[in-house]
Amino acid sequence: MVRHLRALIVGSGPAGLTGAIAIAEALGDGKDILIVDEGIEPGGQLPKQTHKFFGHEGFYASVRGFEIGNLLVKKVKSLRVEILQQTTVTGIYEDVITLYDRANNIVHECTSDYILIATGATEKFLTFKNNTLPGVYGAGAVQTLMNQYKVLPGQSFLIVGAGNIGLIVAYQLVQAGAVVKAIVEASSRIGGYAVHANKIRRLGIPILLKHTILEAVGDNKVQGAVVAEVDERFRPIEGTEKEFIVDSICLAVGLQPNIELVAQTGAKIVYIPELGGFIPWRDENMRTSVRNVFVAGDLSGIEEATTAMIEGYIAGYNIAQDLTGTSQEEKISKMKEELSEFRKGPFSKKVREGLAKLNIRFPEGGYREELQNDSGPKGKLRAVIECPQPIPCNPCETSCPTGAINVGGNINGIPHIDYEKCIGCGICVTKCPGLAIFVIQEKSDHSIVGIPYELLPIPSKGDKVDLLDRNGKYVSDGEVDHVMLNNKGKTHVVFLKVPKGLEESIRSFRYAKKSEAFICRCEELTREEIERTIEMGITDYEELRRVLRIGMGPCGGKTCRSLALQILAEKTGRSISDIELGAYRPPTIPTPFEAIVKFNDGIESSSGGVKNE
Amino acid sequence: MSDVKKYDVCIIGGGITGTALGYFLCKLGKTSVAIFEKSYLSSGSTGRCAGGIRQQWSTRPNVKLAMRSVKLFETFAEDVGMDIEYKQGGYLVLSYSEQEAEQFEKNVKMQREEGLNVEILTPRQVSERYPYINTEGIVMATFCQTDGHANPHKAVIGYAQAIRRMGGHIYTHTEVKGVDILNGKVVGIDTSAGYFGCDAVVNATGPWSSEVSNLVGVNLPTESYRHQILVTEPLENFFPMMAISFSENFYMRQTLHGQFILGQGDKDEKPGINYNVTYRFEKELASKMVKIFPFLKNIRIIRHWSGMYNMSPDAQPIIGQSKEIKGYYYAVGYSGHGFMVAPAVGEALAMTIVFGRSLHTDISYLDLTRFEGTEIEREKNVV
Repeated sequence: MVRHLRALIVGSGPAGLTGAIAIAEALGDGKDILIVDEGIEPGGQLPKQTHKFFGHEGFYASVRGFEIGNLLVKKVKSLRVEILQQTTVTGIYEDVITLYDRANNIVHECTSDYILIATGATEKFLTFKNNTLPGVYGAGAVQTLMNQYKVLPGQSFLIVGAGNIGLIVAYQLVQAGAVVKAIVEASSRIGGYAVHANKIRRLGIPILLKHTILEAVGDNKVQGAVVAEVDERFRPIEGTEKEFIVDSICLAVGLQPNIELVAQTGAKIVYIPELGGFIPWRDENMRTSVRNVFVAGDLSGIEEATTAMIEGYIAGYNIAQDLTGTSQEEKISKMKEELSEFRKGPFSKKVREGLAKLNIRFPEGGYREELQNDSGPKGKLRAVIECPQPIPCNPCETSCPTGAINVGGNINGIPHIDYEKCIGCGICVTKCPGLAIFVIQEKSDHSIVGIPYELLPIPSKGDKVDLLDRNGKYVSDGEVDHVMLNNKGKTHVVFLKVPKGLEESIRSFRYAKKSEAFICRCEELTREEIERTIEMGITDYEELRRVLRIGMGPCGGKTCRSLALQILAEKTGRSISDIELGAYRPPTIPTPFEAIVKFNDGIESSSGGVKNE
Repeated sequence: MSDVKKYDVCIIGGGITGTALGYFLCKLGKTSVAIFEKSYLSSGSTGRCAGGIRQQWSTRPNVKLAMRSVKLFETFAEDVGMDIEYKQGGYLVLSYSEQEAEQFEKNVKMQREEGLNVEILTPRQVSERYPYINTEGIVMATFCQTDGHANPHKAVIGYAQAIRRMGGHIYTHTEVKGVDILNGKVVGIDTSAGYFGCDAVVNATGPWSSEVSNLVGVNLPTESYRHQILVTEPLENFFPMMAISFSENFYMRQTLHGQFILGQGDKDEKPGINYNVTYRFEKELASKMVKIFPFLKNIRIIRHWSGMYNMSPDAQPIIGQSKEIKGYYYAVGYSGHGFMVAPAVGEALAMTIVFGRSLHTDISYLDLTRFEGTEIEREKNVV
């Protein structure tokens, strides 16, 4: 049976979902509107995105990607639009469109008055030696495994590509507990947002510009990677090779539009490098050269999620307008204005240039470019914003309860703070998707720095930490003053006590590496834990042993006893000879029950033992 | 004389009894309290015990006392402010004798009357529930889920820290050398840290109870016997309960940290303080336990030590106030189960000292005077 649809939407990413919402809203219901999607859950890349999105709050800025997906899917479902998952559109034939339901292994046929193709993009691959070794992943695969299937694909990573995707994946890997050894980027500048890059640098991850990967090392799986510096024509410079010991290599070297299906409709394909290469020709309403075929999102030009959503709406309202014969012009022009606002900044330069080749013009400028050079009155608890690039994002402005922040001009402007109005409440810190806002205050004998924090475990008051600068380099010892928990948005603010004068340089912290300071190796106890327990008033070796289990592991305290006694002596000011040594108990090495039982019948209990007490 | 330091109550002994009592006294507002410990906190029996917390007793008052204690253990972390690794994993009491099994049925009837939820299990049920136990020779078993275990050291430290926070004092490495009595009333104690005036002295000295009582001139019918115990390397947790048998003479539990703690009694022990250990104990216990718990075979023993049971004539504690010397209290003779009843005893004795009687649990049956009569009801459920 051939099913007839009013609208078929291919792809349930942000563009497909908003397209479906626009059509169904204008038509009044979702009858005969079908979304077909290959994945196991709707949302396209959204379910894999755990970071907060940029933009403005009307398009879910400050909301995490997977939550945006949930919101859009909820909306789609409330409009009763049907979504078919694990189904691939295998062909757009002259007579029918075929939908291959992979879960049930059956091909369905349909026809549709309109088609919105929102098939997104595919990752580019990179050629280097051994690039088929297991452990070489695309960034999308890493995100799918880690964030969708909850499997961490490796423990230590080299990331290739410092665009937004490479930077975001690096951050997510650290959140998931992996180690990112470095990010290499062949060009001489970071392609992604500076705020993303700063987040990575604060974690101490080096970003090596003008570097590329030469080779994956390993026999059956990745065990390392060789990278080298490149010249201005991207050729490796001999003698600059470096090797990283990693078990995974993650490639984030760009995207190319998925034009396969749209090409089958007969729509005109054009080559525009600024938009990602071959793309479908389309007009400002997202209509292709085939009258009833529309496109939206990355397929129509590589960009980002907010503009994909807006393009989805524009395509959807146009389809609805055609289907109903009723004008949707008001909604369409509102969306076009949004799009125009977003594309005024420097990061949209390539998109503007690419679209100009299609005769679609977008204006630029009209936003503030100057950085604020004053960090406010000393001594006052206040926010400082470190958002140095004009990017389309303004939740700091819209969330500030006292109206102290404005981004200046349009959404691309650089935010400034009116320190007369700022009350240091920290709400902007929890909202900023770039984690680029901090709180500082100079006090009489120390300073306070509040840092946005999204890692586990959540620190607690009094925790001793290493204070780090903007490059993740150790500056000084410090302590957690208090933590402002944000259980809804999950960006907590950790307030650190820092030495006076360091409030302008401390922007990160880490727990002192545990492995460096084990005193008791069996029970993995650090000097710090022992000192803290002594400070609680536990000042006998035997008491310490009982509270911490120091010396109670299989080795029986062979190495830690004397160390613990030394620490006790240091902390209590007593001489080591005045401290009770504690008991030595048999057996001196762990002895299996079996070994004792074996000889039980053979040897009689000896009466010649030694009494020691 | 004006610079003599004075406390309302001086407690001798920094084990679980002394610290629990100190804690409840402070809670009742009597913060002029000092504990004198000749060594370090929990250095006596508490720090050497297995940490079991059981309500399945053979006499009714003991069941009541233990049930109150469990109530207090349940809220320990919240009330006292320390995580003591408390787990209500149950006590599985295994009987290997027909005669004992008959007694168990009577016990369970009485325990249920007291509101304790105790199951009776056949050997087959034991084997279904705990496939890693070899049930050969088992006649029957009883199980009470709300029984459990905790870390005794941490309980003492928890109480001690709370006492310090509330204003009480703790003197460790301080030995009590004499008790000052005037006109039949306690007025002070003499210690290695000097003389302290006081209105009341509490003997909570476990193994040393009768020697310390001699300082007051009161005879306590207690004797201390060595019990040995050992611990293995840690395994992942799979053994939630304390398994115990009076007829087969053993007990074993897994700590939350993963180690197995196990031991047995020795009827040939002679009275007297002795902290040595014997290899005979390891051999006897190992051969018995490997049969009953075959998984132990490849597990290694890492530490073996001993502690004292301060035994009373009927294997029940002796708690009360001296009739002869006013202001002299004792809480001794726990016969191997002082840790598990300590919160309830501490609470009841603190009330007795402050109000003249206990408002929660009647402990009058534990007074020394019970030995004046001819009949003694002996607690049978002791390893």
